[in-house]
Amino acid sequence: MSSVTLSSLGLVFPDGTVGLENIDLTITDGEFIALVGPSGSGKTTLLRSIAGFLSPTTGTIHLGDTLVAGDGTLVAPEKRGLGMVFQQHAVWPHWNVARNIAYPLRLAGVAKAEREERVAEVMRLVGLTGFEKRNPTTLSGGQRQRVALARAIVGRPRVLLLDEALSALDEPLRDALRLELQTLTRSIGLTVVHVTHDRDEALALADRVVVLDGGRIQQIGTPPELVSSPVSPAVARFLSDATVFDGVHSATGFAAIGHPCTVAPDAVESGGTTGHGTIAVLPEDVTLRPAQHGAGTVTSSLYGRAGNDVIVDWAGVALRCRVAGRRPLVGERVDVEVTRAMFYSATGVVASMPSMYS
Amino acid sequence: MSSSSNQHGRGPAVIGRAPVPGSPFSPPRRQRPRADGIDALRIALWAVCAAVVLLPLGAIVALASSGNHLPLLLSGDIAEAGLNSLVSASVSALGAVVVGTVLALLLDRTDLPGRRVLRLFALTPLLVPPFVGAISWIGIAGPTGPLNVAWTQWFGAPLWNIYGGDGVIFLLTVHSYPVVYIIVSAALRRIPSDLEQAARISGASAVRAVVSVTVPLLRPAMLSAFTLVAVGNLADFGIPSIIGLPERYVTLSTLIYRYIQSGTVESPLEVISTIGVVLLIVAAAAMVVDMLVSKSRWELDASASAAQVLPLGVARIPLTLLAWGGVLAVTLLPVTALLTQALLPAPGVPLAWENLTLDNIVRATTMPATLTGAINSVVLSVLAGLICGVLGLAIGTVVTRTSARSNTALKTVAMLPQAIPGLVIAVGWLIIAPRIGLFNTPWLILCAYVMAFVAIVVQAVSAPLRSTPMTAEEAARVSGASRLRALFDISWRMAVPAAISGATLVVLTAVRELTISVLLLAPGGQTLGVSIFSLQQAGAYNAASALSLIITLVGLAGLGLAARRAR
Repeated sequence: MSSVTLSSLGLVFPDGTVGLENIDLTITDGEFIALVGPSGSGKTTLLRSIAGFLSPTTGTIHLGDTLVAGDGTLVAPEKRGLGMVFQQHAVWPHWNVARNIAYPLRLAGVAKAEREERVAEVMRLVGLTGFEKRNPTTLSGGQRQRVALARAIVGRPRVLLLDEALSALDEPLRDALRLELQTLTRSIGLTVVHVTHDRDEALALADRVVVLDGGRIQQIGTPPELVSSPVSPAVARFLSDATVFDGVHSATGFAAIGHPCTVAPDAVESGGTTGHGTIAVLPEDVTLRPAQHGAGTVTSSLYGRAGNDVIVDWAGVALRCRVAGRRPLVGERVDVEVTRAMFYSATGVVASMPSMYS
Repeated sequence: MSSSSNQHGRGPAVIGRAPVPGSPFSPPRRQRPRADGIDALRIALWAVCAAVVLLPLGAIVALASSGNHLPLLLSGDIAEAGLNSLVSASVSALGAVVVGTVLALLLDRTDLPGRRVLRLFALTPLLVPPFVGAISWIGIAGPTGPLNVAWTQWFGAPLWNIYGGDGVIFLLTVHSYPVVYIIVSAALRRIPSDLEQAARISGASAVRAVVSVTVPLLRPAMLSAFTLVAVGNLADFGIPSIIGLPERYVTLSTLIYRYIQSGTVESPLEVISTIGVVLLIVAAAAMVVDMLVSKSRWELDASASAAQVLPLGVARIPLTLLAWGGVLAVTLLPVTALLTQALLPAPGVPLAWENLTLDNIVRATTMPATLTGAINSVVLSVLAGLICGVLGLAIGTVVTRTSARSNTALKTVAMLPQAIPGLVIAVGWLIIAPRIGLFNTPWLILCAYVMAFVAIVVQAVSAPLRSTPMTAEEAARVSGASRLRALFDISWRMAVPAAISGATLVVLTAVRELTISVLLLAPGGQTLGVSIFSLQQAGAYNAASALSLIITLVGLAGLGLAARRAR
């Protein structure tokens, strides 16, 4: 069964800017969905529409079988039965930790004994046992975010919404909370919609990732699908820092226009199409060989655990590469070989939008 | 003056920079930092503050403790006036907090129609000096006001006579709710809307979210607005003397004025200074309470999203009518009343086209007394603005941008007069006037103005500077500037616009001031406020109204300009 269903959802702000356009998305029960996209892509707008803080101008939102927005209906946020964690945690400073967490239960009219029991249980889940009477201002950023998380799940929400929930934290802490978040949401089978600008975080956490740009869904898929077969050069560029070349694909392979880049025919994934188009080259699919009079010059070379992050100036194009082993030096001349490229025909989209499995 | 922080071997980054003043052969920084320009500046500022703030206050305390006049305070007149002051100040402050907070919530958080325009209207009583407000309200709800006259014709008795204690409280409330609105609305803006939205998601209705999350978080702001307004109202002179005295409603300020004007008690200055000390204690207590509360103030994160506008729903129409009706009544009615009074030859003359005359305005503006008053007021207030601007800029930057243990003390001393009733300030200068040779001169008023208003500039300067990271100055230091030079080149320059708008506010406040100048009145040294007050006391109501109208319009225009500059 589905937990959240968005049908042809659109939102235009009062000043005329388009926030969302024709969004179709079905989120199944217990699924972890990540919304990613560049800033201004509409990911937060989408989340706040689900929460009920924004009202869509077209389309409908269903939570379970209940229509909550659209067709003249607009259910207030407090009547939607959701949980939400905000970027700035939004823990109420005038109440202690337990009171903060108990608030949704208090509003739901849960009896005191049960309330205390459930608060204690979620506090154990998020690792805050013993912090009941603490003043939130005395807590660290990570602890406050845990309070916010506990408050969001204590009412057993239909869906947990995370609005850049980990973004305000320091990197090591963010990493730790990421792991805890997955354990927690999986153990209680929560449906989660997670908005983040951190691509790695989205890929790491989510069952499916939704890539948004300009208020439209660009691609929906599992993390491996998105990385290995992005539907458009833009998605490849956004998600994987792919480099894009315009050119012609024929039986002899791909040749860029106005650039020395050529790709062998068996290295081009074109789905059988030829003609004018664009290729996207993932950083992993580039091989660099040191050469005295190489075509490319290394302009930056950053060390990375999974491979060195190298940028090569290749006849005026900044080519992003990930190379294992020896780390090239800045200024070094290299020969460049593209071992795999995805071809997108200029006349039509090659890969069809992946079907949603549900 | 030598600089211990002078750096040698300046890099190319400082080429073209003026040489740093101070010895180029300063010792390395290993040793205890030697006194430099900043310390000299700090000492100079302490000296000025001591002379302008601590000296008059010390004089009051010294004079009050020279003889025991406490029994006198508990006797008839003074006790009654004290009680009246206390009641009128606290009740009006309470009313102002309620009105100001409700307005802040309505205007800043709901979909009330026309809330932007209404906000401007709601703030206008701030721009009208209280004594002018009093004069104008007599035209509305005085015994001969149109409403009361009509009501008497129909029902045989006036509806509500503004003279007396209730009128004083009402007018004090009207003139202080805008301050509360400004303070509470600033606090409201600092509350992240996430907090309310988190409550909504938790299942709270919009109204419940406001009541259980927003209003509790506003409590410290409400309390500090209450103390500020109550202390201010405790010492207001214009309203109780114009509205209270005709009904024998005496407050401390009007009582002190009577003691100074006519020797009704023995050694009036000593009695007055005893009253002053009591007021000082009350003010200090209020300050301490405010500080204790602000210590427990919560740190709030910057708001991540725009504030959510609360739909009023079914309550929208009644609330709109109520808010618009109320605000227009307390803002437009007085101006209309002033206008009609200024254009009519005498009170009670029916409002008809052929009765209108410009005589009052012409007469009021051409009287020699008015001219003297206007010139005195302008000179005194511009000088006060200049002095306060420079002094406040120096204190504000030193206090916020350098680290020294004495900074808090310096700022407290500079801010102290804001919590002290203007009455007490005037009494302090009255006591020391003969010793410093300023007795019976208008310069005494200038000194009192500087003391009373320097806090305005300090506050205006500190706020933007506090939000600027210290790295701005550190960058200047790294580029080769001494501490004083960095302070001067970076912080002062950055704070100059704030200091200018602060100084403008000082000028506009001082030019319409009454309480201090009426108590420190010197022969030929009357201010504009005193001119209007004297006209009113002498029964020239229409001339007083004409002048009030002019001062109100000039004030509105001036503050409008200042607000535009500040943007």
